[in-house]
Amino acid sequence: MKNISRILLIVILAVVINSCNSDFLNTTPADSLSENAVWADPILVELFVNEMYRGIGHGHHECEVGSMTDESHFIHNYGTNQVVASLITPSDIGQWSAGNQNAYRWPRVYEYLRNANMFFENIDKVPFEDENLRKRLKGEVHFLTAYYYHNLVRTHGGVPIITKTFLLDDEFEVPRNSLKECVDYIVKNCDDAASMLPVKQEGAELGRANKSGALAIKSRILLWAASDLVHENWYGSYEQPDLVTIGGDRTSAWTAAKNAAKAVMDLNAFSLHKPTGDAFDDYTSLFISKSSPEHIFSRYFIKSNGWDSEDSNTHSPLFNGPNGYAAWAGNTPIQALVDDYEMTDGTRFDWDNPEQAAAPYENRDPRFYASILYDDAPWRQRPATLQANDPIGEISIRTVYAGNDVTSDRVYGLDTREGPQQTWNGGYTGYYLRKAIDITVDPEFVYDGANQEVPWTFFRLGEIYLNYAEACIELGEDNEAKIYLNMLRDRVGMPDITETGDALRQRYRQERRIEMAFEQSRYFDVRRWLIGPQTQDMNSTGIVINEFADGRVEYSVHEVGQVRGWDDKTNFLPILQDEMNRNTMLIQNPGY
Amino acid sequence: MRNARNYLFLWGRSLLTLLLFCFSIGLVSAQQITVTGNVTSATEGTIPGVNIVLQGTTTGVITDLEGSYSIVVPGPDAVLVYSFIGLVTQTVIVGNQTTIDLVLESDVSELDEVVVLGYGTQKKATVTGSVSAVKGEALKSIPANNVSNTLVGQVAGLMVVNRSGEPGADDSQIRIRGINTLNNSQALIVIDGIANRDGGLSRLNPNDIESITILKDASAAIYGAQSANGVIMITTKRGKAGAPEIGFSLNMGMNQPTRLPDMLNGPDYAQMLNELDEYRDRDERYTQDQVNKFGDGSDPFRYPETDWYAETLKDWSPQGNANLTLSGGSEAVKYFISAGGTYEDGYFKNSSVGYSQQNFRSNIDAQITKNIKLRFDLSGRHEDRKYTQMRGGTTFRFLQGMKPIEPAFWPKRSTDTERLPGPDFEGGSNPAVTSTDITGYNYDNNYIFQSNVGLDITELFTVEGLSFVGNIAIDESFREFKNWKKPWILYTWDKETMNENNEPDLVGSVKGIAAPELTQESRRSKSFTGNMRLNYTKNFGEHIVSVMAGIERQTQTGYYFSAYRNGFVSDQLEQLDFGANNTSKTNNGSLWESARLNYFGRVNYNYSNKYLAEFVFRYDGSQIFDPKYRWGFFPGVSLGWVVSEENFMSDVSWVNRLKLRGSYGTMGNDKIDPYQYLGTFEFGGNYIFNEDVDTKSLRPSSVANVGVSWEVAKNANIGIEGGLFDNKLSFEFDVFRNVRTDILYPANAAIPLTAGFSPPDQNIGEVKNQGFDLSLNYIHTINKDLYWSVGFNGGWAKNEIVFWDEPAGKLPWQVSTGKPMGGQLLYNALDVFIDQAAVDAYPHWPGARPGDIRFEDVDGDGEITVDDRVRTDKSNFPTFVGGIPIAFGFKNFELNILMQGAAGAEQYVQVPSGEFGNYLQDFADGRWTSENPNSNKPRAFNRTDEYWISGRNTHFMRSTDYLRMKNVKLSYTLPQSLVSKANMKYVQVFFSAMNVLTWDTYKVFDPENSSQNGGSYPQRRLFNLGVNITL
Repeated sequence: MKNISRILLIVILAVVINSCNSDFLNTTPADSLSENAVWADPILVELFVNEMYRGIGHGHHECEVGSMTDESHFIHNYGTNQVVASLITPSDIGQWSAGNQNAYRWPRVYEYLRNANMFFENIDKVPFEDENLRKRLKGEVHFLTAYYYHNLVRTHGGVPIITKTFLLDDEFEVPRNSLKECVDYIVKNCDDAASMLPVKQEGAELGRANKSGALAIKSRILLWAASDLVHENWYGSYEQPDLVTIGGDRTSAWTAAKNAAKAVMDLNAFSLHKPTGDAFDDYTSLFISKSSPEHIFSRYFIKSNGWDSEDSNTHSPLFNGPNGYAAWAGNTPIQALVDDYEMTDGTRFDWDNPEQAAAPYENRDPRFYASILYDDAPWRQRPATLQANDPIGEISIRTVYAGNDVTSDRVYGLDTREGPQQTWNGGYTGYYLRKAIDITVDPEFVYDGANQEVPWTFFRLGEIYLNYAEACIELGEDNEAKIYLNMLRDRVGMPDITETGDALRQRYRQERRIEMAFEQSRYFDVRRWLIGPQTQDMNSTGIVINEFADGRVEYSVHEVGQVRGWDDKTNFLPILQDEMNRNTMLIQNPGY
Repeated sequence: MRNARNYLFLWGRSLLTLLLFCFSIGLVSAQQITVTGNVTSATEGTIPGVNIVLQGTTTGVITDLEGSYSIVVPGPDAVLVYSFIGLVTQTVIVGNQTTIDLVLESDVSELDEVVVLGYGTQKKATVTGSVSAVKGEALKSIPANNVSNTLVGQVAGLMVVNRSGEPGADDSQIRIRGINTLNNSQALIVIDGIANRDGGLSRLNPNDIESITILKDASAAIYGAQSANGVIMITTKRGKAGAPEIGFSLNMGMNQPTRLPDMLNGPDYAQMLNELDEYRDRDERYTQDQVNKFGDGSDPFRYPETDWYAETLKDWSPQGNANLTLSGGSEAVKYFISAGGTYEDGYFKNSSVGYSQQNFRSNIDAQITKNIKLRFDLSGRHEDRKYTQMRGGTTFRFLQGMKPIEPAFWPKRSTDTERLPGPDFEGGSNPAVTSTDITGYNYDNNYIFQSNVGLDITELFTVEGLSFVGNIAIDESFREFKNWKKPWILYTWDKETMNENNEPDLVGSVKGIAAPELTQESRRSKSFTGNMRLNYTKNFGEHIVSVMAGIERQTQTGYYFSAYRNGFVSDQLEQLDFGANNTSKTNNGSLWESARLNYFGRVNYNYSNKYLAEFVFRYDGSQIFDPKYRWGFFPGVSLGWVVSEENFMSDVSWVNRLKLRGSYGTMGNDKIDPYQYLGTFEFGGNYIFNEDVDTKSLRPSSVANVGVSWEVAKNANIGIEGGLFDNKLSFEFDVFRNVRTDILYPANAAIPLTAGFSPPDQNIGEVKNQGFDLSLNYIHTINKDLYWSVGFNGGWAKNEIVFWDEPAGKLPWQVSTGKPMGGQLLYNALDVFIDQAAVDAYPHWPGARPGDIRFEDVDGDGEITVDDRVRTDKSNFPTFVGGIPIAFGFKNFELNILMQGAAGAEQYVQVPSGEFGNYLQDFADGRWTSENPNSNKPRAFNRTDEYWISGRNTHFMRSTDYLRMKNVKLSYTLPQSLVSKANMKYVQVFFSAMNVLTWDTYKVFDPENSSQNGGSYPQRRLFNLGVNITL
């Protein structure tokens, strides 16, 4: 026993004396890499660039940008009410501070831009075996830089252009660059990217930035930079107008916009998506197909994508589907959008026309049927629980009365807030989103991985046509504009536009609203055109449909309880108050 | 009759023997002796109420009014312990005596009580820090199976809040003197001298615990960089020389939730929905006739009414524990061995939720030579947690949300053999179904093994007063998770279609997932601690100096891996191999490591037990930090003056003890993420190229903060403690002021977002926390048959953010600097708009209508905006936690009651009511309606639709101050005469209870819950019967 204790004493002493060598404290992390390791390995550099793609967002987050416009009502609010009522302040920008809008959010965009700067500071020392890869990655990061700034500038106006990687002990305060400098910087990055990238990416590179995409960003931002928003004084007196306006010659601005759009078209690499020639099928599959001759730059998704704000596209059927399909309604189209879909003869729908008011969903622009679910719209098979009520699978909004007036016994529609299933997930407007939702996906099981694999297309030829047409109209080249507008209308079987002058401008704006619905265009268009006071200053409305025993069906438009209002200040988001406080060189946007 | 009784006892004893088989120990035959005698005090003559206890047992008697006693002891080896407060405790070996008369010496006995301190022990009388101890015996009498739930109300300044009662997940939040930092505020847990042991203190066997010591002030500085939040030290029991003693205890209890919220019944709920329709300008969805039908049961298929709690929960759920201990030994080898098990069932019907544990401990001391002792301790336990797919908190959230007009189960139709489950809320969740194992299971098995080998050498190198202590502790734990999900079927009815029997045609459909799926995860961690220290104590006349110095190293590693597959073809084979071999399957794994090295020491000076001084230090090195900034020095100093030892106090007879003390020290908190000094890159999420190729990405995970270091605590404490009136009244009062600086917090104000990185944590934050602890105890012994005692302990602590780099320019009423941590920005709810005129008369949110809450226009700009929100002063952690222990003893009966309360916390209450779910009765009663416009409660609301729901405001904030009857124990100790006939030493039977009654104004949920929507598993109210037997 004495020996045991002697041995133990020696062991303890050995352990403890060994401790005097404190090398064992020098552990290294087992789950992360050092900076040097990254820039020494081309494969890791490529992964680093991949990360920058993750931030570019997509259009099918649970809360869509369209719900901050006159496209839809987001029933769960999530800060959209502040935006549509123009209640945002520098301390509260509502949904614009939510993760769903990361691709536009000041903090996130600057995070990715820091990665871009870090990339450019290091890329030339990476030992590439294939120099083409270095060039391609540089081109991609120029594209991504342009993309991030074009989001930030369109939402905030002139922003600080950061071209270095900040470290902890740097001087951080920077001023905002003028709007013109910002646009020039975006254009320069587009041009650089275009010079380094192929027109299209293919094979393993499909989905990476390409030359066409770079030119498409340029088209979009130059159109924006030619618009009324940045040339007219909507803000009164403001200490630094060059943060929100560009000035200069409008004609040359519109010409630049026209040329930028033309540059994309002149690549001759894309054509309108019309594989079948059927208007409804073509316009539907344009947003579902993984490949299309119209897609310029898209992001792809697979079923196993997760729930985080970067990947949630795959859940769109659940986010937006009707409650009668065990989904959550989410972004529900409002009546104002529905009413803007033309009749098939190209005339405006009119509630004062008794024939149209009695059958409002008949003879409408095929894009209506492909974009919006309405009462009696054919849709997929119901969940087992409701198949007895609706064996066919049609959207059910109307209330069916046993008698001839509203006091009689009634049965509510399956997809309403009074329906038999998940009433709290019913929409208020009587419409559900259909565009870019895959009918083959059962929303009931999306929660558990039965997701959709629908891509998100950031740029497509259709938008370029519209950009081109708008620039042409503003330059007085009406006929040139109509060629491209009517190509789009022809694809969906709508009659040609024949107007000229301001009437043409209004038809064009109408056409853009419909063609680009739910593609994150409307929010910027109403601001570019300074038409917020006309289009955004009215409460959300929806439809109520009553069917009586005698066969009468009455459609009536009701407010849905979402208060809206317009304030010109919301043409741009405010700089967050905390950011203003941290960086005294910043100047707040007008009106805040 | 007597034979029969003996037979019963023999039978019982045989059963116990059987239970003890694993110990291979036979029962020692008894040879009983009755000892009588008389006890007197040197100063006061005969003393009634002297405690006489058979050593090593709880068997004992009390002297009567004449100071006489009589006790039966098992044999001549028996040792009797005579104790009385204020007198020296004496022990006497019985030998062949049958009469033992004693004279007890006055006082000083209490001073010999020893307290465990960091790396050593000290007499309580000479402790100069703020140190509290609680005896294991006190905790053992509380029937909770989780040690952390026995601590509340026991120690002044130990703030304990229990957020959840879910079996196996019911650990209390423990904070010493409140919250001192913006970061991790957990105390360091030290078990038998080893810090950071896996598994913590909660699941220790209360029967194994000798004492728990809490270091509340600078006395914790000996634990250096880990000590800033205080230290909780647990010491387990060890054997004492003597005959083997076998203890057996058994507890069997029934529990139920402390509180369930009152929800609306069917008709009231339907009425609320009609009101919503009215406010939205829609037709009311139910006629009055339909509303009534939800209540009258006339048509249970079309108009069901469900009490979801009654459908899902049972009235009582069992729990219990059993424990065996064996201790004893010779002077050469002593042992304490225990084995035990616990079991707790969930509240649910057909419950598949439960916790069970098996544990053992073996603490061995071997005296190898006169001055060398070897310690060998081994303990292990298996924690077995069983949950359903839906965890308890979620189930309770759904329970309060479920609509009373939807059926949990349909009524039985003529062809049904059982009630078919009703529809789901969404995603398949019908809590009456998903609280069972129909949806699969979630198993969590944790195995923890701890070992410690120690060597104590006194008179090292034959130097008197020089000693050596060394320890090597190796702990290892394994944790296995298995999560098996499978689809289930729920039934709906469209309220129209009838089947061939003209009964409702219920349609079943698969819910949740299409096919079963399985996730398995395995975690393993191990730690190694080696330490040694030298002690030297020397007396120079009245001066006593002792010095201790030590060194310790600790390394810990852990790793995990997990795997997942879906698409199981059958739910019969719950193994990964049988899942689909598709792209959804995953596997993951990672590893972590930690290492510490430190040097520590203590110097004590004691002049005649009158003037005391202590200095402790630790020099700490940790792998968490940059090698250049890795080491830190943490000193603590404390002084004490035992006033009662002064000559001028000798005449003040009513003061028995009086000590003044003060301390100040610097401590650290390094509970932060490691490697912050490195700029690292980590793998991020994936991106899809080429339509469906999942590609990895890499991102900068952090910006290097090269100088990152620990938080620094500078804690000051002044205390006074003493005993008055023959020590009948003892008290302790401490005032403290803690300043925590260098708190790791991002430099929010300095780094704008344009920098493109989230600011890393830097050592910039500062928090102040001050308050007091107070404990009082009064014990009064009336005669040998009757005594009572009452005490009070409480701690108050209020913190304040001094600096956390809040960007300048905040509105004054929104600034958080200078306010307590945990406050929120809330609109100030004034009242309810009684009518349209009231709406028009005051600034309001767009769309406000009568019945809505009126928010105060704080900035007076005529609009209600986010700028009108005001920061609150309270958090959901109380500023005061206290307890009132009360005890009565009458003959063999003893009654212990612990009243316990907390104050200073508040909790937001908001459940998603409306079309989404049910309303709290409290929110519906007396609400604003057009018929009741003068109400101060808002109208019916729909989930978050109303601005006064989505805009958080003070209307929904409630105080959670409470007072509870926390513990009750009524025990009866069988008379010695009876017990000894059965060859037992001690038998006690008792009834005990927890959370018996609660008084508060919070009302809706349990006041310790911190979920605003009731999404937490309520604490238990427990009634328990138990027995303690010593053989």
